[in-house]
Amino acid sequence: MLLLWQVGAAEYRSPYLPGPGDIYSAFVELVRHGDILGNTLWANIGASVYRLLIGFGLGVVFGVPLGLLMGLYKSVYRNIRAVVEPFRFIPPIAWIPLAIILFTGLTRYAFLIFLGAFFPVFTAALIGVARVEPIHRKVTLVYGASKVYVLTHVVLPTVLPDILGGMRVGLGTAWMTIVAAELTGGSAIGLGRMMVNYSELLRIPEVVVAMVLIGLIGFLFNEILLLLEKYLFRWRWQVTL
Amino acid sequence: MAATLTKPAAEAPDPRPVKVDVDVSHRYGTLPVHDGLKFTVRENEFLCLCGPSGCGKTTLLDILAGLLEPTGGRVLVHGEPVNPKRHNISFVFQEPSTLPWLSVRDNVAVGLRIKKRSADDVRSTVDDILGVVNLRGYENYYPHQISGGMKQRVAIARAFATDADVILMDEPFVSLDQPTRERMQAEVLSIWARKKGTVIFVTHNLEEAVFLGDRAIILSAKPARILADVRILLPRPRNTLSPEFTRLRAQFANLLNAAVPAGTGG
Ligand SMILES: Nc1ncnc2c1ncn2[C@@H]1O[C@H](COP(=O)(O)OP(=O)(O)OP(=O)(O)O)[C@@H](O)[C@H]1O
Ligand SMILES: [Mg+2]
Repeated sequence: MLLLWQVGAAEYRSPYLPGPGDIYSAFVELVRHGDILGNTLWANIGASVYRLLIGFGLGVVFGVPLGLLMGLYKSVYRNIRAVVEPFRFIPPIAWIPLAIILFTGLTRYAFLIFLGAFFPVFTAALIGVARVEPIHRKVTLVYGASKVYVLTHVVLPTVLPDILGGMRVGLGTAWMTIVAAELTGGSAIGLGRMMVNYSELLRIPEVVVAMVLIGLIGFLFNEILLLLEKYLFRWRWQVTL
Repeated sequence: MAATLTKPAAEAPDPRPVKVDVDVSHRYGTLPVHDGLKFTVRENEFLCLCGPSGCGKTTLLDILAGLLEPTGGRVLVHGEPVNPKRHNISFVFQEPSTLPWLSVRDNVAVGLRIKKRSADDVRSTVDDILGVVNLRGYENYYPHQISGGMKQRVAIARAFATDADVILMDEPFVSLDQPTRERMQAEVLSIWARKKGTVIFVTHNLEEAVFLGDRAIILSAKPARILADVRILLPRPRNTLSPEFTRLRAQFANLLNAAVPAGTGG
């Protein structure tokens, strides 16, 4: 396939349609000498991943407890859902103008990424609570278990698979938001920023390198979460997989 | 002759102290399930509860365990309103009740851990009881890896692990085959003989009731009333093939048939 691409690109003879060779040399160049602003490729990756982890982490830290709480106190949620739920449907990118006004620097990125991560995690926890079986509560209550015990030993184990599923969805949205977030300026570093800089120069090979890296890093994080799921939920999977 | 095998509980005062004192009237919405159901259970008594399907046996056990507040009346354990935090109760539920995210060992240990017993104590008690229910070697299996009957044995082991003084069992053996069922009946009797405790055992199976109980209460269709409350005086171990046993079972069957109004099919 790579070969076909190389041949196709050569035949097309457009300076803007790079072949795999061009992309590889752009990649080597970026690794060796950094980008046009002098930031190394690793610094760009590091900056983006750092922002992702902060924003995503915040999404999980707020999404899980709020989702569990609203799931446990459904009557409360029923009253406020008409206010909360519409936010779910506002794409993170739509928040950019407000984010520019309200926040600067890291907070701005973290805020936009948080928006991508929060709702999938929150919704997963919220819906997961409804799946807790009354009999599982009874098993612990009959021995005199406290509310907290039921929450940590019955509700949480039941909901955890949903939460991790929500985290994978949230991670996807959050990471996709990074390019948009870094477009808002503020910092000259980051994979998204780097991509935009090169696209303004019409240097497509570097743009493609950034795209591929964004894809691969997202994939890597997803795989890590999948491994975590496999480890945590071995009680659900068959022994052989 | 029958008089030597059973006695109406009212005519045979039991010297043991009262453990559970029941007087409940419960309704689900407008549906009356129990209507002034009143009885007491003695310390270390093995009481079997029989009654047609849907007459409110499971509901009654939930109320006895303090898991469900009756709409009328009360349950006293040792003279105080029942409270799972204060009283040492355990329950073998009618439906499958193993926690799927815990191994067999951790499932059996649930009650012990909630009651904050030491790690050593948990380990030795669980090992012990797993031997009794024949699940040694399956400690690290998860519920999805064992059969339905094995899961029920896990639930039984869990109920007997905590030395509860009130043990509620809701048709615990229905999912077991006949030989396993017979072995488990014998095991329950021997654990009970060793550890004591007041057992309230719900069953449809009259043979089981006559085999296990010190006493049997037969309930009517809902709203449940007590149709018969008899002490079973057959000496243990009981032989299910003896003429006395067979006669008693037939006597119970007549009572239970009377409990199911013709044409309603329970
Ligand atoms: N949560 C509930 N809400 C409303 N009605 C209920 C509820 N639980 C049970 N019932 C009703 O109460 C009655 C008694 O139910 P229960 O489960 O106590 O019967 P049971 O004697 O245990 O029957 P079985 O022998 O079939 O297990 C039934 O008519 C049932 O439909
Ligand atoms: Mg029942």
